[in-house]
Amino acid sequence: MRERVAKGWSAGLAALLAPVTLWLGAFFLIPLLFIVAFSFGTSEVYGGITLGFNPGNYLKVFDPLYLKIIVRSLGIAALTTLICFLLGYPLAYFIVFKGRRWRNALVLLVMVPFWTSLLIRAYAWVVILGGNGIANKTLQFLGITDGPVNLIFTPEAVLMGMTYSYLPFMVLPLYAALEKFDVRLKEAGKDLGASRWQTFLRVTFPLSLPGVIAGSILVFIPSAGEFVIPDLLGGSQTVMTGNLIQNQFLQSRDWAFGSALSVLLAVLLLGAIMFYIRRVGTDKLEGV
Amino acid sequence: MEDRQTRERPPGTRDAERGVAVRLAGITKRFGEFVAVDDLNLDIYEGEFFSLLGPSGCGKTTTLRMIAGFEEPTEGEISVAGEEVQGVPPYRRPVNTVFQSYAIFPHLNVFDNVAFGLRRAKVPRDEVASRVTDACEMVQLAGFEKRKPGMLSGGQQQRVALARALVNRPKVLLLDEPLGALDLKLRKEMQLELKSLQEEVGITFVYVTHDQEEALTMSDRIAVMNEGKVQQLAGPTTLYETPANRFVAGFIGQTNVFSGTVEAADGDRVTLRTREGSRVEAVVRGETVPKESEETHVAVRPEKVRFGESGDNVCAAEVKQIVYLGASTQYIVRLEGGGKLVLYQQNAFDATGPSEGDGVSVAWDAQNCLVLED
Repeated sequence: MRERVAKGWSAGLAALLAPVTLWLGAFFLIPLLFIVAFSFGTSEVYGGITLGFNPGNYLKVFDPLYLKIIVRSLGIAALTTLICFLLGYPLAYFIVFKGRRWRNALVLLVMVPFWTSLLIRAYAWVVILGGNGIANKTLQFLGITDGPVNLIFTPEAVLMGMTYSYLPFMVLPLYAALEKFDVRLKEAGKDLGASRWQTFLRVTFPLSLPGVIAGSILVFIPSAGEFVIPDLLGGSQTVMTGNLIQNQFLQSRDWAFGSALSVLLAVLLLGAIMFYIRRVGTDKLEGV
Repeated sequence: MEDRQTRERPPGTRDAERGVAVRLAGITKRFGEFVAVDDLNLDIYEGEFFSLLGPSGCGKTTTLRMIAGFEEPTEGEISVAGEEVQGVPPYRRPVNTVFQSYAIFPHLNVFDNVAFGLRRAKVPRDEVASRVTDACEMVQLAGFEKRKPGMLSGGQQQRVALARALVNRPKVLLLDEPLGALDLKLRKEMQLELKSLQEEVGITFVYVTHDQEEALTMSDRIAVMNEGKVQQLAGPTTLYETPANRFVAGFIGQTNVFSGTVEAADGDRVTLRTREGSRVEAVVRGETVPKESEETHVAVRPEKVRFGESGDNVCAAEVKQIVYLGASTQYIVRLEGGGKLVLYQQNAFDATGPSEGDGVSVAWDAQNCLVLED
């Protein structure tokens, strides 16, 4: 009994954890195991799958065609994360330190896009960026362009759409991290001879790193697996891993290869994130 | 009156030509309608332990923040070490602050916290290392250099904040109620330690506190503030023995105040008829001598009142409450003519006092009474 108390376990806690354990077990862990099993199987001609040990699915990834798509996905995801950070940090900083009584209202505004489904918002961009869309009409009205220009189905359109979708995921953790910040520390920095910029670099920014890490992970992971936005806003040059996986399951019916891609993407992301946390989390920012 | 006191040399100063470390000339600070500091004139001398003492909201912290550069005065001029500092940002002022909440950088270890200012000043590496080590030793933190602030006790964090400021050898060290968060025993220890540290390094300390005992223990001079104004500027003994007005008398230590009209004024001897109807004799020690039939106040410290029947003022009374304080006992008595009086009696050897409800006689001398302005 004593030991159970010492470990913080009790029947009540176990009872509270049971539903979520069952839920995740049934709808996450078991399907994941299926995917891992499929990834080593062999696809049959009509779409069925034979289980076994076939590393061929993984070797297929090294085909330059697929390799290029994976590298591109990670590149677009990284770029999306970077842009979200560059846009989101000043915004979060502004809301926390200059927002005053508007603080809560401004945070609410950041979350407003969530009130509409991602799919609908992505379609809205199709309408805006299309040949006859508002964007092109405005450009012509202002005399910047003569006729419609190709805005949609470009890598830039995908990048813009992704940044738009994931920006709140960057801003909210940054807000949470900065909000806890004790402004006296800024005064202490200045008191000790650090200019505003030095105080930011040496004090404010390092202390907001947990928010930066959380925000980048929340943006990078879904970005790397994204398939809706490249599907709607991108053309054939912007096929991402997510689209590739979707194709294997729905069109090519090569479930084994699709599963291998999924497992690979998951492992890659996990590795990237662990590397990132190690790097940034323990980076010794002071001590030069 | 304030002006005269500002020009006064601090007690214990042998050198008449002592330099001015901080000069506040006609400083006023308004926040909207609220006047936080009202036409403040102060000279703080080099090497002095100077305290700004007053209740919360009296403007003492605002004054300190203006010297540090976190606030700019609405009117007036501040000079630090002979140079005007208007518009000079905090990071270019030759002062450092020990903050009330310490404001230690939680992401840096003790060494990096203490080294922060030196590194910003581009001090060479070797010198940083030796000065940080010296500073840590000075505040008895040697061996803690690699610890993160989260692993330190409140007292240790306080020492880090002190070392972090002192290591820069500022012209003036500003301390904003630095001991407020510590428990009583530690606070008393730190008071003595701070005082000897200040004497050791010889840096001017400007110390903000609401704790009168703390100010009396450490300071060379104290400016008692209320509602943005200096009520009195003097050394600890003068403040306690001859408070300038009712506010100071009430704020520094405990005091019994009788209010009433002057019945007779004979030279420096005054007889007051209190509102309750009893008579109190007092000797005037200030420069203002109240005239007959004027309204005034007479104060007497609790430890200057005794049980007995001989003295300039003798009054029958009834003991209402007894509070045992260890070294002394506090008696609250009701005077026969009306009104309450507090008195202290030392608990020496086997002294036994009256019990609650006893009829007693209390006495005090006219020379221990003070005539106070409003």
